[in-house]
Amino acid sequence: MPHENGSMISANNVDLYYDDFQALYEVVFEAKAGEMIGLIGPNGCGKSTLLRTINGMLKPSGGTIYVDGKDIHKLSLSEIAKTCSNVPTEFPPDFNLSVLEVVMMGRYPHRKGIWWETPDDELIAREALRKFEIDHLADRNINRLSSGERQRTLIAKAYVQEPRVMLVDEPTAHLDMRYKLEVMEYLRDLMEKEKDMTVIIASHDINLMVKYCDKIILVKEGHIVGIGKPEEIVTEENIAKVYGVQCTVYRDGDGEVIIHPKHSLRLHS
Amino acid sequence: MNSNNDSLISKGKARLALVVVLGIFFIFLLFMISIAFGPVNIPLNEVWNSLVTVFNEGPQTGYDRIIYNLRMPRVIGVFAVGMGLSVAGAVFQAIIRNPLVDPYITGVSSGAGLGATIAITSGLTLSVLPINILTPVGAFVGALVAFALTFLVAEGSGGRAINYVLGGVIIGMGFSSFTTIYMMFSGDQVHNILLFLFGSFIGVTWSNLWLIVVPILSMVFVILLYAPELNVILLGEEQAQQLGINVRRFNLFMLILASLLTACCVAFVGIIGFVGLIVPHTARMIVGGDHRLLLPSSMIIGALVMASADLIAKMAYVPNELPVGAIMTLIGVPFFAYLLIRRGKEYAA
Repeated sequence: MPHENGSMISANNVDLYYDDFQALYEVVFEAKAGEMIGLIGPNGCGKSTLLRTINGMLKPSGGTIYVDGKDIHKLSLSEIAKTCSNVPTEFPPDFNLSVLEVVMMGRYPHRKGIWWETPDDELIAREALRKFEIDHLADRNINRLSSGERQRTLIAKAYVQEPRVMLVDEPTAHLDMRYKLEVMEYLRDLMEKEKDMTVIIASHDINLMVKYCDKIILVKEGHIVGIGKPEEIVTEENIAKVYGVQCTVYRDGDGEVIIHPKHSLRLHS
Repeated sequence: MNSNNDSLISKGKARLALVVVLGIFFIFLLFMISIAFGPVNIPLNEVWNSLVTVFNEGPQTGYDRIIYNLRMPRVIGVFAVGMGLSVAGAVFQAIIRNPLVDPYITGVSSGAGLGATIAITSGLTLSVLPINILTPVGAFVGALVAFALTFLVAEGSGGRAINYVLGGVIIGMGFSSFTTIYMMFSGDQVHNILLFLFGSFIGVTWSNLWLIVVPILSMVFVILLYAPELNVILLGEEQAQQLGINVRRFNLFMLILASLLTACCVAFVGIIGFVGLIVPHTARMIVGGDHRLLLPSSMIIGALVMASADLIAKMAYVPNELPVGAIMTLIGVPFFAYLLIRRGKEYAA
């Protein structure tokens, strides 16, 4: 059930400061339900800051962000938890939690019982384990998973939170080639089924974002440089401007857009 | 495979029931042993008779009086303090998210040590209050002052859990140094000071027992209510915040509550180390990280370990008593070393 004007997220002139440092400049964008959006840009450009502003963890000094029709910064923490969920890159050192226990914690914002979750919560959690094919690992200690399995556990946790917007920060940072594709495929599958959810993924892997996302948001030094279809945004000019890298963008035999970096522009500018 | 009986929740509830039943059984067992053994050993059938007599008509015989006047309040105090320190330890480990942390991390013990030392050395000259009241009052006040200073340093430096660790260590060292200097001038009171610094249940009587048990158990109860939140906190501050917990406020509340709990534990019986470190750990190894199981298990194991240490303290060197804190530490050091070698590397970063 998309919002009246059809947008799930709408950011209007968002400015954000860390003390004196301005991290976001008049950020404007819209995201629709059912869209998977890749958020790309160089280190320190404000990707994570933008994610943390969308889910209300950071307060903008100007502008507003509406998520699912509500001003996210006017919601309580528990209302936010039912609207946005977050998949972190890292997981803190283990305290002997099992995969199922971690995923069940995604039900915390929806808790009905005192102390114990309800059987419904467990049903939802177990179904998420099946969806992300980690049900055979339900009792496994979270620290004894491969990086790919751990990432899927964290996505499952974010999924059972039943959010309208799922924010994924660097999901493939520590993964090898196969796990990278796998995680993205799971997210893509999720999008096919959950038509009224929006997923935003911040990543350094431009090729992966281009391959799987419906839209790309390109960020440089706190400004949105471009937003649109992957092939419109990921151009040689844009990459040179934002990353300072000379690259070739071409299509392979299957028609997929590939970006191939040639050299940095550090000596040539 | 995923039938209802196999569900995580019903399994959890069943395990909790098992923990409670086993816990009650073993606590009863240690209760009986603790009131039977001591400088005078009372045969178990006599213990039972005495219990019945005491219950029906009050203490009559010598055995009755030993059991009722000395050993019963003592073992109840032992259980309460063992539970309190273990739960406080589990909370600090969850909030600071480091399993090598103990309840004294916020400087409470050092504050209590200095407070008690001042009370003991000045007690004779001051004589406003009798020494057996002045010492716990001094200890409690010292603990609160130390925590308050830790709080100021920690909040001033960012207010995160790690700031509490650093602040607590610094404040703790400061208070310990004061205690050392005080001891230099304490003359014949050194023995009493040491008794406090290493802990002893010798001073627990029916008249002060409620002051130990009631505050400890009520704070433990409040902490138990927050077991689900403590679980979510394990996912990390950012994740917990995004699951709807106001992490700063919750952590502060828990740190204050656990520090108060620790202060109540040490005020009457002194500083008993290691129990708050090793017990939550042992419990975590047995029942896992879920605080709904971990906290009750810690309470029970804490009570049992403390009672065992107190038994050794009473019996090892009859007619004298050894400080229970030292016994606890002797048990704890090899365990802690093992823990560091096995798990310490994981927390190096």
